Amino acid sequence: MRAMGQIDRTKRRILRQAVQENLMTLRGLPPPRLVRARPRWRRWALAVSPLLVPAALLALALMWASTGGDSAAPPPGEMPGLPTKARLASPLPSESVATTAPRSPLASLASSDPNLRLPHPAPLDPSILALGVRRIVLDPGHGGEDHGTTGPLGLVEKELTLDVALRTAELLAAEGFEVLLTRDSDISLPLDRRASLANSMRGDVLVSIHVNWIPNRRARGVETYWLGPTDDPFIKDLAAAENRSSGYSLADFRRLVEGIYADVRKDESRRLAEAVQKELYRSLARLNPSLHDRGVKTAPFVVLVSTEMPAILAEVGCLSNEDEARLLATPKYRRRIAEALTAGIVAFAQQRATTARSEGSS
Amino acid sequence: MSEKKNVVCVGIDLGTSRSAVSASNGQRHIVDSYVGWPVDMVARKILKKNVLIGREALDSRPMLDLHRPLERGLLKEGSEKDQQAVRQLLIHLLELAGLGEKERENTQVRAVVGVPAEAMRVNKQQLRTAFAGLVDALLIVSEPFAVAYGIEALLHAMVIDIGAGTTDLCVMNGRYPTEEDQRTLLNAGDWVDEQLTRLIAARYPEASISPYMVREWKERYSFVGEPHGNVLVTAPVNGKPTQLDITEPMRIACEGLVPPIAETMLDLIARVEPEFQEKVRHSIVLAGGSSAIRGLDVALAAALQEIGGGVVRSVEDPMFAGSDGGLAIATDAPDGDWEKLVG
Ligand SMILES: Nc1ncnc2c1ncn2[C@@H]1O[C@H](COP(=O)(O)OP(=O)(O)O)[C@@H](O)[C@H]1O
Ligand SMILES: [Mg+2]
Ligand SMILES: [Zn+2]
Repeated sequence: MRAMGQIDRTKRRILRQAVQENLMTLRGLPPPRLVRARPRWRRWALAVSPLLVPAALLALALMWASTGGDSAAPPPGEMPGLPTKARLASPLPSESVATTAPRSPLASLASSDPNLRLPHPAPLDPSILALGVRRIVLDPGHGGEDHGTTGPLGLVEKELTLDVALRTAELLAAEGFEVLLTRDSDISLPLDRRASLANSMRGDVLVSIHVNWIPNRRARGVETYWLGPTDDPFIKDLAAAENRSSGYSLADFRRLVEGIYADVRKDESRRLAEAVQKELYRSLARLNPSLHDRGVKTAPFVVLVSTEMPAILAEVGCLSNEDEARLLATPKYRRRIAEALTAGIVAFAQQRATTARSEGSS
Repeated sequence: MSEKKNVVCVGIDLGTSRSAVSASNGQRHIVDSYVGWPVDMVARKILKKNVLIGREALDSRPMLDLHRPLERGLLKEGSEKDQQAVRQLLIHLLELAGLGEKERENTQVRAVVGVPAEAMRVNKQQLRTAFAGLVDALLIVSEPFAVAYGIEALLHAMVIDIGAGTTDLCVMNGRYPTEEDQRTLLNAGDWVDEQLTRLIAARYPEASISPYMVREWKERYSFVGEPHGNVLVTAPVNGKPTQLDITEPMRIACEGLVPPIAETMLDLIARVEPEFQEKVRHSIVLAGGSSAIRGLDVALAAALQEIGGGVVRSVEDPMFAGSDGGLAIATDAPDGDWEKLVG
């Protein structure tokens, strides 16, 4: 009789997963009824057909923008202000415009501005932070007019990132997470809006997905970033490329960075980055034996700066390497990437749950 | 949808060569997975139909644009015709089960459709589109999973569905199988037919043989290992019916299935967590029409000897294992889920 109960439980679980998977297909992503955020958000999501999502995102962003203050620096915890179009267009303060690359003020700022190296804050009680990880926000890099990097075989970063994100969403949902995406179609979405979307979605973590382009064509590999300053010129260039459509003025950016470098959530971000990078390398190296573990790094990517949750940016592959491009062209490899991202996020969530339990009982 | 009080659950197995339906109203039917459209006005006049399905389609094939929509386990990417063909196939199976358009108007139909694992990977969205609007609620699953569910081989078991176009292997670890848990091989019944045709033609270049003859011979005499007597068939040689001994070609063609299936089986087992591998080895289940090849189960069990031995058995009702499994899923899935799975 006990065996019967076991079978029934297994059946129920498996059926739930089968249904879940079908719902993902049925709805296209993100599935509106999986979006279980605050009530306001839910009503909005249900009312809006997938076709209207880009327009709705825009409207939402504008709405927030119009309520945001534009002078005083808000504390990172509240961050009501969204950079507006006006800010986007506002000139950068001349003293901090880098002499070399005008397209990469943010990256050059990162290593030159001493404000970015704040003393370590007193550690917070980890049990305060060690809450469950339930809602994952995935951010497929680039989109719309912003193609990101391009490679052989007609591969385009914006398409790869979306594909991997959708696959990851499906897998995470099957693991029982709530999953939201900053975009689920080919729309352009400035980085600041991605960040504010992630914040408004009240995600427990943000994972931004990108594909790399490394000048050395023979190089290939995966690497995962969390927010921090860098002196590495390659990373500066990369951050510059990824930050290009940020929509922030330099002043905004500095304010945000000041708030966040002192933030204890960077520990969480680092742990998340480590968990994800470990899985990415471990799992992809099996299909891609000459894969290089480029490790966990820090860089001032805008999308990481202005989010309120542990946030990472994963460069899941490398389009400048022809062999790897060929792998990225196969659904199997992209599926594997999604599985690795999922495994990394699950590992992080478990680690955090364990911390919460042990802190709670001591 | 929920206004219709009368609920009928159906399980449908859309195979590469044969499809089956099992319904909660007691209906069970099999049809060959062929769909044909008359090529022109004349053909339509003669056939008096807009679309022909199954054996009927096969028999009129000179007058038809004939499709086997899931031939290699996959809808051809972007093939409008194949998409229409699977839709027609589903309509036909529903009709066979007493669920024609009329009946569907006042019956709530909940359908679980099992498709080759490869189609699940690649054509999920296309399949849903192809089936849109036919039933009230639709759940699409991979065929080997439907078989596993039907026989309750859900935990530490493996289903090897050896069909016509594909062999699908699926490990059940107590969860809905992911891509990692499944493999698809193109070594299956059709492949054996091709090998057999080639080998017979090499031995008897004068004989005229058709794919349909070869398939019939195979279904009657297939074996691996030791032959039970000689396999003698009759075919025209230079127009004269002649007896041919095809024992050796039959053995070679059928045994060609063993290495790829065995290798994939061992590989999947190796990926199971070590403490459960033995359990999996002892619950390997063969399904699909080609699992009827005599001695195939023994040959696969022998391959397991390498890694400590195991048990390979065949499902009891190979024709309906998939559709019955689908019906079991349809019956077990909670009402609340069905409401969401709009067809
Ligand atoms: N007795 C038999 N011996 C060998 N092969 C058989 C036998 N009966 C059917 N088959 C083969 O099984 C295949 C059909 O199996 P099936 O499970 O219906 O395939 P699918 O699910 O791919 O449509 C065909 O290749 C057919 O020739
Ligand atoms: Mg089958
Ligand atoms: Zn990028």
